[in-house]
Amino acid sequence: MSKKGDMYYAWTSDAELAKKAECGGAVSGLLKYALEKKIVDGVFAVTRGQDIYDAVPVFITDPTDIDKTAGSLHCGTLLMSKLVKKYLDGAGTQKIAMTVKGCDMMGLYELAKRQQVNLDNIIMIGVNCGGTVSPVTARKMITEKFGVDPDSVHKEEIDKGQFIIEYEGGHKGISIDELEEQGYGRRSNCRRCKLKVTRQADLACGNWGVIGDKAGKATFVEVCSAKGADLFDKAVKDGVIKTEAPNPKGLEIRAKVENAMYKLSDKWRKKDFEGLGEGRERLKKIVKETSRCIKCYACIENCPICYCVECSTKKPYLVKPGEVPPNFMFHLIRFAHIADSCVNCGQCQELCAMDIPNALFMHAQQVELEKMFGHVPGVDMSLPLLALVEERDERDRLAATGSDQIFDIFK
Amino acid sequence: MSNAKPETLKYVPTTCPYCGVGCGLNLIVSDGKAVGVAPWQRSPINEGKLCPKGMTCWEFIHSPDRLTKPLIKKNGKFEEASWDEALDLVAKKFKEISDKNGPRSLGFQVSCRTPNEECYIMQKLARVGFKTNNVDNCARICHGPSVAGLSLSFGSGAATNPFEDVLNSDFILVWGSNAVEAHPLAGRRIAQAKLKGIPVMVVDPRYSPTAKLADTWIRFNPSTHIALINSMMYWIIKENLHDKEFIEKRTKGFEDLKKTVESYADVEKVTGVPTETVKDMARKYAAAKNAVIIYCLGITELTTGTDNVRSLGNLSMLCGNIGRPGVGVNPLRGQNNVQGACDMGAYPNVYSGYQKCELPEMRKKMEDAWGVTGLPDWYGSTLTEQITQCGDPIKAMYIFALNPAVSYPDSNHVKRSLEKLDFLVVQDIFFTETCEYADVVLPGASFAEKDGTFTSGERRINRVRKAVNPPGEAKEDWEIFVLLAKKLGLKGFDFKSPQEIWDDMRKVTPSMFGATNARIDKPGSVHWPCPTEEHPGTPILHKEKFASADGLGTFFGIEYRPPAEVADAEYPFTLMTGRLIFHYHTRTQTDRSKVLHYEVPENYVQINTEDAKKLGIKEDEHIKVRSRRGETTPLARITDDVAPGVLYMAMHFPNGANNLTNTALDPMSKMPELKHCAVAVEKITEAK
Repeated sequence: MSKKGDMYYAWTSDAELAKKAECGGAVSGLLKYALEKKIVDGVFAVTRGQDIYDAVPVFITDPTDIDKTAGSLHCGTLLMSKLVKKYLDGAGTQKIAMTVKGCDMMGLYELAKRQQVNLDNIIMIGVNCGGTVSPVTARKMITEKFGVDPDSVHKEEIDKGQFIIEYEGGHKGISIDELEEQGYGRRSNCRRCKLKVTRQADLACGNWGVIGDKAGKATFVEVCSAKGADLFDKAVKDGVIKTEAPNPKGLEIRAKVENAMYKLSDKWRKKDFEGLGEGRERLKKIVKETSRCIKCYACIENCPICYCVECSTKKPYLVKPGEVPPNFMFHLIRFAHIADSCVNCGQCQELCAMDIPNALFMHAQQVELEKMFGHVPGVDMSLPLLALVEERDERDRLAATGSDQIFDIFK
Repeated sequence: MSNAKPETLKYVPTTCPYCGVGCGLNLIVSDGKAVGVAPWQRSPINEGKLCPKGMTCWEFIHSPDRLTKPLIKKNGKFEEASWDEALDLVAKKFKEISDKNGPRSLGFQVSCRTPNEECYIMQKLARVGFKTNNVDNCARICHGPSVAGLSLSFGSGAATNPFEDVLNSDFILVWGSNAVEAHPLAGRRIAQAKLKGIPVMVVDPRYSPTAKLADTWIRFNPSTHIALINSMMYWIIKENLHDKEFIEKRTKGFEDLKKTVESYADVEKVTGVPTETVKDMARKYAAAKNAVIIYCLGITELTTGTDNVRSLGNLSMLCGNIGRPGVGVNPLRGQNNVQGACDMGAYPNVYSGYQKCELPEMRKKMEDAWGVTGLPDWYGSTLTEQITQCGDPIKAMYIFALNPAVSYPDSNHVKRSLEKLDFLVVQDIFFTETCEYADVVLPGASFAEKDGTFTSGERRINRVRKAVNPPGEAKEDWEIFVLLAKKLGLKGFDFKSPQEIWDDMRKVTPSMFGATNARIDKPGSVHWPCPTEEHPGTPILHKEKFASADGLGTFFGIEYRPPAEVADAEYPFTLMTGRLIFHYHTRTQTDRSKVLHYEVPENYVQINTEDAKKLGIKEDEHIKVRSRRGETTPLARITDDVAPGVLYMAMHFPNGANNLTNTALDPMSKMPELKHCAVAVEKITEAK
């Protein structure tokens, strides 16, 4: 029996699947096995849409369709967690296996705390993530920096600190650092992210640390929970997944890659947060930037923390309806309700119609709150100190007082 | 997927059904129903970002109010009918009336919110089936003057440069456009440019959300564009800042312009803009290496619309700002397919690709392609002319996805006119205010229920993909026209898919011949002109030479004329109209979204603080606004965003702005003066 912390090199015994997948296809093999054995009702993963720059979520119930999700797409800037709540009934009635990046996983924990998804019904197969690149930025970068027609690229990856493309007639890599200094590269939230190996998922998988003759042919798997161990052991026992012990040198390399990533994240955090200034200066900056808001509600719709049925931004006495830009209260409500739990998934910024650096503002506040109260969002089921309430109970309690204000600031 | 179970969470990439920016988005489909919108980050147009309307555009699709069966009015009441019965009646009536009264007795009105393929097939049906050119689309009441004006100035009536291209500019002049609300993701490009440090100047009588974004806002008196532009040009020439080489090599008519603007040194009395400010505007525009002009309906919806557009054309050519990145003159097209509806020849004087009906060789070409003879050469009646001609000579009308009872000027006149028709067909997805006047109502399909293309304001042909089936017995609109053509015994309508219709169009349209279905299917698609399959498409027009016959741009000396109806003692206020970010046109779709309805459930009018004070009007009380044509009772919103004596009202509400607006036409483009009329304001005192 495997236990939390056990590590393997693993690969699928399904030769056809291995051909389509990357790094030996352990993740695809596990997902397929989970469906075949009816351990789950469906697999929620990402497939390639119109081209390699178009990542599309897909819900699969037929194991023979799993090969569609094989391989990685670094231009997939999706957040899967909120989709489980919105479109898959929060995994309330069916069991789902999911591939998750750090932000997907953190979002799931936050939604679970708010009883919006049922983690008992979800197997999280985590994948290492060094960050993602928005599709439009990627294509621009490939055209301008790589001098390659983006339509001729058939594979892209982020490895050893480089963004690497394979295209008709060659391959090319440029250091992420260099690209990002020039305004290309990963999304800014990804640059600041420090959840690179998803150890709070059920399994943490990736290619970091796979060396020697297994390089490129096996996946590094770290067992992170009993649920993960159970799936993995069964798959190994049934001969679907083959394993060997990881090369000790590989372990060192894996740690080294992870640490290098953290250092880079620290650099970006310092740069981004210092750029915001402090106190009044920071507030002024936030007020100015948010004054472009056109009230599309994308920040709220796509946030893995937001779940309220009655959103306070739609209370006419707090934010006057129909006004563009809305009063700053719109943004204050978001800060008050989310900041202590923000997982820096970046959706509120990437999808902001007016390019307001929302994720930066929220993340900067979360980091301050974490320093003050020690609460780390997104990595377990511990409740935040400030904002979390049971919405329905709280609304009822307040309604009984004749107001829905915790502190009636209008008195 | 290979399993037979209904799909869960299928993503269908498509194009937003609202404004002319053409944002890409994914419709999420579960169990055969659209359940949400997901961002489509792959779209180069909007990178996954959407405005409030785009975010919610799935909500009306399965509304219980959707039309699901054909309706026939019998004894003044609508009764459900079979498709056979309804289409037999339409075919019989149109044939009868046409046989008896000739081709000018019919009117065909095409909506700019429907795909290209449907615009094309409807105009083909009118021309082939009834030999009439009485076919027009609602660009007539938004950017008709752009088509007319830019054609005269540059030889092509479309926007010169793509939306994103403002990022290559050194100065952005936004004139009569509230892009942040009316074209939000084009507005985003302007905001992005500003973040990049590119100066943005907004010229608008109102302190709009777009003006609030600008570095400089120029307030001027409503509808005095020509005077202000002429004065800018006077100072540019006076200070020798014009691009002599460009004028010499690429244009004609400069002397005419120069002479005309000589009397526009000081226009403060007319425009309200001090001369020093005009000089500053002139210097800023002329000094920029690359300056772009973005404009919208503030320029076009006036009786001087075409001249206003040509004035902007003059200004751009004067400084050589045409034909390269970062420059140009760009109308922001209002509806999702307003560019396309015009491109498809749903126009009274041209076929697809602006090929003129008056030219015998064009008619011959179309007759050969369509297998008919006797296509008409005459200039058909325009959209609002058709309304005025209801009863005489127009007896029967086919209105496809338009709601004239709310959206055309002078609603009372529209309703009275529609009543004079012998036979009216309305094809739509909801029972609109206009359906009341119909004899037959045909249930069509929404954007989510059919394949096709929308051509955006940057001439990009964006793919629309079918995600779900139309409700009940409702049909995809192109199919309705195919069935009707069959009832009429017409040849050349045997289409099995919208793609076949596109190919039918492509075959006869040189400017779009290279835009094959396969190319359009790819993200980002292609910008027309695209004459061959190898051609990369044309994001920027007029690069080496203008699209005109002689390759030159034309300057026009244009004198300022006041609007048809100006404020006077009896009607002392000037009413301007416009759009809100939260609604689309007559709200048939947007008001069925919960959040959009929450934001703006009711019509309101912006009135200046001083005026409100004088009249004793309080915030959010109902007031009466009257014009010579009708009245309405919106809520009052008191603000200094509008100047004293000026009111602003959105055009979205029934019995709203268009109860007041004026039908006076721009002589060149037949654009009614929707943006300017004289009104009186009254406080409503309750009788007690």
